[in-house]
Amino acid sequence: MEETRADGRNANQLRPFSCTRNPLDRAHGSARWAQGDTIVLAAVYGPKPGTRKGENPEKASIEVVWKPMTGQIGKQEKEYEMTLKRTLQSICLLTVHPNTTTSVILQVVGDDGSLLPCAINASCAALVFAGIPLKHLAVAIGCGVLEDGEVILDTSKSEEQQLKSFAHLVFPNSRKSAGSKEANQKEEDSERGLITSITHGVMSEEDYFSCIERGLAASSRISDFMRTTLQKQVPGDV
Amino acid sequence: MEHQRWRPTVNERDFIERALQSDLRVDGRRPFDFRRLKILFGREDGSAEVQLGETRVMGYVTAQLVQPYKDRPNEGTLAIFTEFSPMADPAFEPGRPGESAIELGRVIDRGLRESRAVDMESLCVVAGRHVWSVRVDLHILDNGGNLIDTANIAALAALSTFRRPECTVGGDDGQQVTVHDPEVRDPIPLTIHHLPIAVTFAYFGEGNIMVIDPTYKEEAVMGGRMTATINSNGDVCAIQKAGGEGVMSSVIMQCLRIASVKAADITSKIKNEVTSYTSAKALQKVKRLPASVLKKDSVPVVAMKGSADGALETQSTKASSEVQQISKGDEDHQNIKRNSSLTVDRTSKHKQTSKFIGGPSNWDPYSKGVSLSSLRISQLPEPPPTVKDNKQEDVEPMLTECNPEVQSESRLTAGGSDETQAVSPKSLKDAVKPKHKRKKKQHNKS
Repeated sequence: MEETRADGRNANQLRPFSCTRNPLDRAHGSARWAQGDTIVLAAVYGPKPGTRKGENPEKASIEVVWKPMTGQIGKQEKEYEMTLKRTLQSICLLTVHPNTTTSVILQVVGDDGSLLPCAINASCAALVFAGIPLKHLAVAIGCGVLEDGEVILDTSKSEEQQLKSFAHLVFPNSRKSAGSKEANQKEEDSERGLITSITHGVMSEEDYFSCIERGLAASSRISDFMRTTLQKQVPGDV
Repeated sequence: MEHQRWRPTVNERDFIERALQSDLRVDGRRPFDFRRLKILFGREDGSAEVQLGETRVMGYVTAQLVQPYKDRPNEGTLAIFTEFSPMADPAFEPGRPGESAIELGRVIDRGLRESRAVDMESLCVVAGRHVWSVRVDLHILDNGGNLIDTANIAALAALSTFRRPECTVGGDDGQQVTVHDPEVRDPIPLTIHHLPIAVTFAYFGEGNIMVIDPTYKEEAVMGGRMTATINSNGDVCAIQKAGGEGVMSSVIMQCLRIASVKAADITSKIKNEVTSYTSAKALQKVKRLPASVLKKDSVPVVAMKGSADGALETQSTKASSEVQQISKGDEDHQNIKRNSSLTVDRTSKHKQTSKFIGGPSNWDPYSKGVSLSSLRISQLPEPPPTVKDNKQEDVEPMLTECNPEVQSESRLTAGGSDETQAVSPKSLKDAVKPKHKRKKKQHNKS
């Protein structure tokens, strides 16, 4: 039943991921997030006083700068910036620091597919390391639908070219209260909403829901990873 | 919202200057010490990340075929692009490159291109029609001072590991250019005649105090700056001193002498790093493991940690404790990462040799990697066509590099987290079921 993919993973397997805390010195918070060969470096500066023209001064504003590996920033990168900005706005507590701007700068270090999800994970981690108040974490995952309707997770670049359609999904992190045991994890999963969903290409309704279902399950793994990374590193910070 | 450059207070300025008068620097170096230089290479050819103390610059080289300039029909082109990313310093604004970004690009350009360090004529494919245009992107990631020297080293390191695809001229008119896929023919490196190294001096007081490799704090205080680009032969390739404090010519002579010593040091450092990188790559080529084997070894299968995986898992838990330390000591992270990948190389190499000696009797049912690769070896006797060989050689190096570290990290989480059904709807049977059969078929076909 399991069809192996080009790199030996099965459909639901993610690439190995890693996260480095504050690789940069000047930035207020930074993170290097890697998913296989896709690597994104995110840096956060802020909150800086004042907002840009046109932003609501009663809330904090977020500015996102995307730096590609090579060449100029094009339409797609602009779209990435916009998506990231909206996603991050929805997870930040914007009323804590009104009339401030927080800059998030993303530098692509390696691109091997699922770039946007990787960038979202990186920027979320960088925000945490910078100490920006957040409601919860955002966990992103890239799902692809093959010609035969099979859904694969965390697509690589070569796979993305064969896909019929794909969806980049962002979920809030899975909750884990001290009292709750693993048993009711499933119920909690269903309570988590969908923050962002960017789809390309045509897919049937069932495919989309199957993407969401698998993405949600995968995201809880990533959010567990994020949690352990963050927890592990906070004590060293003090 | 305007953010200025870091400005020292009067007291800080005073402190830095006073300390310098007694040959003390704020970071504890002596006046003519460079900060620690670290060069890391990316997965792809032609990407390098250079750390000089707290300053970080990433260099990335790409090439494409273009029509040459009219006045130089038989020469390729080299262009350097620098932009100060707002990531490096809150003072850097996104958008058009600023004054200092252009100065930086120009100094490097003069040092590299105008001193003919990179052979341009070898980049010509068809005179007047097709030449390679090499583009160097320098991303400033962290501004800890002395960006010019760091960016220069990053450009050199990236250029010396860059490989361009091989191409041949053919067709009826002898003008048709075929670019060979890097998997079919080994890509070729650039011809680099010498490595021009930029060494920056900062002057304080009335030009009578000077230090090498200033930090951003010293840069904010200094009265003048001079960058001398010198190669290890002692040729001066470029000197940049844009105004500032006047400096006596005897001091400049002294600077050049110091610079040529430092240039020799840095040249040997770059060369060492590049050779160790290329030899590591060459080693990976020798292994001839199919790419999928390497991947499979490292990708955690979350669902089942059955007996089949037992041996591998214990191995990796050892590694994982190491990784934990790495992520804490984030500064040394990169360094250790490379080490760990090296050790993995060694172990896999060991596996390889043991296979040669032991053959099938050495079959290890507990490790997928070994069994798979021994399968492969057993097929080696029938001589595969060279083209196919190249292909494998070229694919795998990319895959090996990062996995070891990463793998254990995610395994860590996998261990801690409970399994969700949707991610891993696999049974134990699936885990044990070897993929060998399929592999074998593939190989037979090819």
